[in-house]
Amino acid sequence: MDRWLLIASTLLALIGGVWGMTSVHRNRRSHWTIMWMAMAFALQTGFLTVRGEARAACPLADPGEILAYLAWSLTLFYLLIGPAYRISLLGVFTAPVVVLFQTIALTPGVLDATPLKIPGGNAWHETHTATSVLAYGALALAAVAGVMFLVLDHQLKEHHLKSGLFRNLPPARALLVSLNRLLRLGIILLTLGIIAGFMMPRSPSATGHLVAALIVWAGYALLLWIQSTRGLTGRRISLLAIALFLLSLGVFAFV
Amino acid sequence: MELLCLGLNHRTAPVEVREKFAVVTSHLGTAARELTSLEDITEGVVISTCNRTEFYFVAPNAESAFARLESHLAAKTSMPEGINPHFYRKEKSSVPQHLCRVVSGLDSMMLGETEIFGQVKQAYQAALDAGTTSGMLNRLFQRAFGIGKKVRTETSIQEGATSVGNVAVELAEKIFGHLSDSEVMLIGAGEMSRITAQSLVSRGARSIFVANRSHDRAIELAAEMGGSAVTFDDWQRVLERVDVVISSTGSPHTIVHRADIEKARRARKYRPLFLIDIAVPRDIEPAAGEIEEVYLYDIDTLEQLAEGARTRRQEQIRECERIIDAELAKNRLVGS
Repeated sequence: MDRWLLIASTLLALIGGVWGMTSVHRNRRSHWTIMWMAMAFALQTGFLTVRGEARAACPLADPGEILAYLAWSLTLFYLLIGPAYRISLLGVFTAPVVVLFQTIALTPGVLDATPLKIPGGNAWHETHTATSVLAYGALALAAVAGVMFLVLDHQLKEHHLKSGLFRNLPPARALLVSLNRLLRLGIILLTLGIIAGFMMPRSPSATGHLVAALIVWAGYALLLWIQSTRGLTGRRISLLAIALFLLSLGVFAFV
Repeated sequence: MELLCLGLNHRTAPVEVREKFAVVTSHLGTAARELTSLEDITEGVVISTCNRTEFYFVAPNAESAFARLESHLAAKTSMPEGINPHFYRKEKSSVPQHLCRVVSGLDSMMLGETEIFGQVKQAYQAALDAGTTSGMLNRLFQRAFGIGKKVRTETSIQEGATSVGNVAVELAEKIFGHLSDSEVMLIGAGEMSRITAQSLVSRGARSIFVANRSHDRAIELAAEMGGSAVTFDDWQRVLERVDVVISSTGSPHTIVHRADIEKARRARKYRPLFLIDIAVPRDIEPAAGEIEEVYLYDIDTLEQLAEGARTRRQEQIRECERIIDAELAKNRLVGS
């Protein structure tokens, strides 16, 4: 049942992405992408609820659940922040990432077929996992905004201004403002997650994970500090937001 | 009863003739009442813009109604050569077709322009308020508005900026979004930079700085646009705060060098900078465009973009006309 929910959600995100891309290609603005993504979000929530009941805890006990939660968080931020952008287009850029995460989650062996109850739940542990993955959702969307900026920047620089994609992309400054806000939100949530990580009971093997998380946190903190004090070009902050997000996924290798 | 239209536009009459027949917006209702006061004319709408004045009306006999209106207009304007060489007549089915072309922007001087749609709506509303329309003209105008909207949404007849000034504004909005947070600097006070800056101001640019070799001219232009004048040697200092630079000096040498921008980058915190070079020879060193956060456009690029949009609009005419014909064929209007 839970697996089917995730499959259906992946298909809806795929339809949303393809629908949006087709609209952009035809130089038409479509508000359907957000509808497909909202339906995908409802099914993601259903999947996580079923898994949460089976685990009797926050469903973040295997890589598949983490990826599904990450996709849910990414979709959540898209639905919350989307209106600040031109909705359909952010969806076009978000949907492939959601599809990718969920497809990996659905790969045989990644998601526990029979999720077991997690014994002795701990509030700090739940807070740590939930806020950390939410943080990753915000940071993933920041990376998506970074990709959008790089595409727009390239088109403006090269004077390639005739495509439907160019016409539908939001202004460069709006993208950079959103990217900054998402990075700030991400680092606040990540800070909460790390504090909760220090408070929860943990095994010695968790040290690597915590160190990796601290390195990621330091990377983002440094990026924001440089941005607010010295300033950074749009291209650099976008590239760094994308690079840091890709590197930060390595933290999950230590889970 | 027949649908009729008598009008003149930028293609049939020069400005000195058009201005004689122009009606100010506040008098459109009165003009429509005057039209329907003529014998046998039962309904009337008067459209008047800077490029056209058109009388849409309903009468039982086309020939006598046209003759009455023409002599009425000739008497009012007292043109020695008469008004006939400048006016065109439309009857029956060519009336809705013409009106649809007008509201769709196909008959405009700037193909696909959007302002005409609102102007025709305003004229119709004035006639409606004056009580000079009834069944036939109401149906004609409602149908034309519906078709005009369809043409504009289903084709790209109004897409893309068709003048250098508008291209600059569109690009500025693509980089900065709402221009209310953007500051502009003009280097040189030429006519072209004035027009471009005016376009940016009309779209809400927050402030304008003008730097010119003749400081008096800078003061004059700044006053005209509600901005401030800076001495020519000071433009580098102002560069630290502005978002858009429009340069159009008559200088034979480069004015803005890559090094000037490099110097200001730190103080600008590497914010995006839009450079518009509309001078020939160019004022801005092309290498300035290689700086990461700088978007540099020269006059040729802007003109190519405007020309591209004009061509794309031209290519849309046939499709627009197909939509108009198909829509009008669905239901024949009474009197057409």
